[in-house]
Amino acid sequence: MAALTKPRHGYAIMSLIEETTKGTITIGPASMYTIIKKLLKQEWIYLYDGTDSRRKTYLLTEAGKAVLEEDVKLRKMMIQLAENGLKEAGEWGKPSI
Amino acid sequence: MGKTKYMMSGGLAFSEDKDMERLRACSLNGWHICDIKFMGYALERGESTDYIYSVDYQTVNEEESEEYFDLFSAAGWTHITSKGDIHLFRATPGTKPIHSDRATVAVKHDNLGKSLKWLAISMLFMTVLVWMGALISTGPLRTMLAIIATILCIVSIPLGWTVMTIYHNKWKAKGKKGLVHLVKTIPFLFILSVAVIISVVVDNSGRAFRIFASMAIGAIAFPAAIWIIMSLYHKVRGNRV
Repeated sequence: MAALTKPRHGYAIMSLIEETTKGTITIGPASMYTIIKKLLKQEWIYLYDGTDSRRKTYLLTEAGKAVLEEDVKLRKMMIQLAENGLKEAGEWGKPSI
Repeated sequence: MGKTKYMMSGGLAFSEDKDMERLRACSLNGWHICDIKFMGYALERGESTDYIYSVDYQTVNEEESEEYFDLFSAAGWTHITSKGDIHLFRATPGTKPIHSDRATVAVKHDNLGKSLKWLAISMLFMTVLVWMGALISTGPLRTMLAIIATILCIVSIPLGWTVMTIYHNKWKAKGKKGLVHLVKTIPFLFILSVAVIISVVVDNSGRAFRIFASMAIGAIAFPAAIWIIMSLYHKVRGNRV
């Protein structure tokens, strides 16, 4: 979803994710198509330009943007929690002698 | 030797992974799939190549199909053939799988199950209804209803089994262990209850045994007959073309 803050087509999303995560995360074509279908149905994205029927581009809707913002907020909190946890674990793990 | 041959499928709902492995083995032997046929695949003679195969279930209409197939070809998957909502793809080993997460795999099985679910439910319902009709009626009407009910049974039992397996696959992808075990035990319970009913209704044990034997023979002979007919049909037609 974060890849659709700019109009992009399915394959561009797949390559963007693969490049920015340096290949750690890849999206298969069947998964990509299913996800686009789902986001369209939920009206979190909309068809931006359908003139090239092979490479249709999509963009986030206002509702989609709100959902993304909420999701980022939640994930930030989870990361914060995990980082604090690791810091504590580091302090505990120090040799006591 | 002909240029094409027929290979029977284990049923995509039951043995998708096994089928894809068999297609890969056939490609290594120089037989490449070119078409999906009734209960199987058509293979054509070619050079021995190591290909991997994947199948996807997706309702794609005319205007969406270009986008759908373009996503696959961009990711390195060549489209071979489609039958309805079933799409078959081929790639070289090492190509990233077509599904990258379990949630979309569950959707895939759901796509296949959706179309069959209502057909299976209405068939089962009709079968039960006709059986009940046969039980309460008399004379020639009863015989006729019993014959119809038997035919309905032959169709609806495999159909029901298929739909159950599809949902079993879906729940497995979703990680719902309880439902998976439940679906796994249903066929055994069904066979067991049929066996019990036959043993109780048929008092003569020799006759009951004959019924079981003919059921077992039927279960083996039916798929074998389809395989023989399809292979012959393919040979005759393949030589003409």
